[in-house]
Amino acid sequence: MNEFRLPDLGEGLQEAEIVAWHVTAGDHVVTDQPLVAVETEKAVVEIPSPRSGRIAELLARPGERVQVGAPLLVFETEGTSRETGTVVGELAPAEPAPAAPRGTAPQTTPAAGPAPGRAPVRAAPAVRARAKALGVDLTRVTPSGTDGTVTLADVEAASGGLAKVGEGERETTGEALRSARRTMALNMARAGREVVPATLMDDADIEGWRPDEDVTVRLIRAILAGCEAEPALNARFDGASLAVHPNPRLDLGIAVDDPEGLFVPVLRDVGGDDAAGWRRRIDALKAAVRDRSLSPADLRGATFTLSNFGTIAGRHATLVVVPPQVAILGAGRTVDRPVRSGGGIVLRRMLPLSLTFDHRAITGGEAARFLRAVIADLERMG
Amino acid sequence: MTTVATFSIAFTRILAPSGELVAPLPAFAADPAELVALFRAMVLTRTFDAKAVALQRTGRLGTYASSLGQEAVAVGIGAAMRPADVLVPSFREHGAQLMRGVSAKELLLFWGGDERGNDFAGPREDFPVCVPVGSNAPHAVGVALAFRLRKEKRAVVCVVGDGATSKGDVAEALNMAGVWKVPAVFVVNNNGWAISVPLERQTAAVTLAQKAVAAGIPGEQVDGNDVIAVRSVLERVLARARDGGGPSLVEAVTYRLSDHTTADDARRYRDDAEVSRHWAEEPLVRLRTYLTQRGIWTKQDEETLLQECGRAVEEAASAYLATPPREPAAFFDHTFAALPADLAEQRAGMTAERRGEP
Repeated sequence: MNEFRLPDLGEGLQEAEIVAWHVTAGDHVVTDQPLVAVETEKAVVEIPSPRSGRIAELLARPGERVQVGAPLLVFETEGTSRETGTVVGELAPAEPAPAAPRGTAPQTTPAAGPAPGRAPVRAAPAVRARAKALGVDLTRVTPSGTDGTVTLADVEAASGGLAKVGEGERETTGEALRSARRTMALNMARAGREVVPATLMDDADIEGWRPDEDVTVRLIRAILAGCEAEPALNARFDGASLAVHPNPRLDLGIAVDDPEGLFVPVLRDVGGDDAAGWRRRIDALKAAVRDRSLSPADLRGATFTLSNFGTIAGRHATLVVVPPQVAILGAGRTVDRPVRSGGGIVLRRMLPLSLTFDHRAITGGEAARFLRAVIADLERMG
Repeated sequence: MTTVATFSIAFTRILAPSGELVAPLPAFAADPAELVALFRAMVLTRTFDAKAVALQRTGRLGTYASSLGQEAVAVGIGAAMRPADVLVPSFREHGAQLMRGVSAKELLLFWGGDERGNDFAGPREDFPVCVPVGSNAPHAVGVALAFRLRKEKRAVVCVVGDGATSKGDVAEALNMAGVWKVPAVFVVNNNGWAISVPLERQTAAVTLAQKAVAAGIPGEQVDGNDVIAVRSVLERVLARARDGGGPSLVEAVTYRLSDHTTADDARRYRDDAEVSRHWAEEPLVRLRTYLTQRGIWTKQDEETLLQECGRAVEEAASAYLATPPREPAAFFDHTFAALPADLAEQRAGMTAERRGEP
């Protein structure tokens, strides 16, 4: 078979729409005779015939969008009627690598490593740079681009949590969870490279709390109060342009410990819900972590993070701010501490708090005012 | 108040769109063979353009800028230049390049992304195609200055488009050409459109030739669809330049019948009616009309010529397509005399990768 594939008709175009065929199957055409009009993002262009011959089949209908490199038509394989001398060069480009259909998420972690003698990876310099920055091994990325090229999206998808929110296909869920430690490593490495951390530590006096007080819910309420007092801490910082973008709402990442690694599912729009709603949704997120039904989208886009490590151990900590977030609050193990009260000393139950912030984006004053508001809210009764 | 300076811009046309003479023929035109040669070169150029576009449309050439309708500008330049002169083209002078001995295969190699196409076997000192608009103008001044310093009787032809006249490079080049009085001829190929920007949105100036006034050099207009006039005017200003008379600017008024390039669709910003109007003024028909009316050219001559040009272009296309691409590592080869260590490492890495080594 002798296929003619859609060439790149502009400069880096991906596809074209068939406007009208000027020929039908069975027609004999000569070199450079107009075959079909197609519309790209830039232009309506006439595609001439690359050779003389009889057309066996048209492979796309008017109105159909055809990817660059996909077959447009098939010429009859012929003997005698072939006009030698007018056919120049090779018509069919090299067989493109089996590419995933566009719009589906590429597989992130192939089961096996590269086969011996495998062809070199095709990737643009920017894609290679990104892969290097994210620690992604290009030979392990399934390419989705034309002719088997690895795209930026492939690299970011392969890197897990750093990618944009994808289409949310469930197929990718298991992969994302299995790569949780990898994601953690990449995120923390990036944070270590970019962020300038500073930490404030203090205690909230929770002596007045009811015994059944929901610590996590109280911490969420306190963070919301902190963000209202000092919105600068609920922001996104772009280290490249050095721009701070305030977030319109609080999407709180809540660190969840798991044998497979660290998961930080996101509680969306904290301000738009109440304590009962938070608790219900947190339980659902934790259950999703346990039964591995969390989607990658559930793990992305936090604007602030809470780490309640004190449920295990630890009082104060210097935490890691994951860009583009600018701060994280940690709650330690509660302890009874002697506090001066009037003329004497009493024991009060204290909740240790650690606020780590990115000093590139946040001033010490802003961080301290935030922490003051958090403490005030935690110390409020009921 | 007194007037300290005035200017006027001459316009030369010899052959009207109807094929009638509206001015005396220049001396060279007394020989019919000279006129046939001009016609032949324009037909070859148009045939080459059509093939190049077809190659691009079938995925076998990169983005290409056709010179459809503007063949007289490039061919007039090519005919007026001497072999020792240097052409510093923009990107629509295929006709001039072919006349100066650049092969059609070399042109296709370049437009196919292979820099070996710029290593002309013919005019060794001609500059390669220059896509960045107007950036070739300062280069041309440098070449012309070299000729002056060496006391060589040679001239440079620098071609820019109408859009390029709005660029600083061109203004600076014209200015210094005037200051240094170098043997450079600037041809503004005014085809009316800088991609999608029409001339009236490009400049408030009545002509582009008057850009010469501020540089203190002569400027004039020529009918860019009249190949006899283009050659005639260019011969005059080139002789002047070679003889130490200094630079000039010639605005060739023509029209771009094609899209800007194969990556463009002019129907999105240009009326079909306007394009149709200009087809009546295109350069090939008027010269053929003149030649036919004088009994110099017959239908048989025309058919033979079309076959010859078609064959020549097909042969060039075959030779181009049969040329194996360069090894990617070759792009390290012509930047440094001695490759720095980091680039040498990259080159080795690329070579290893091409061999399938990790």
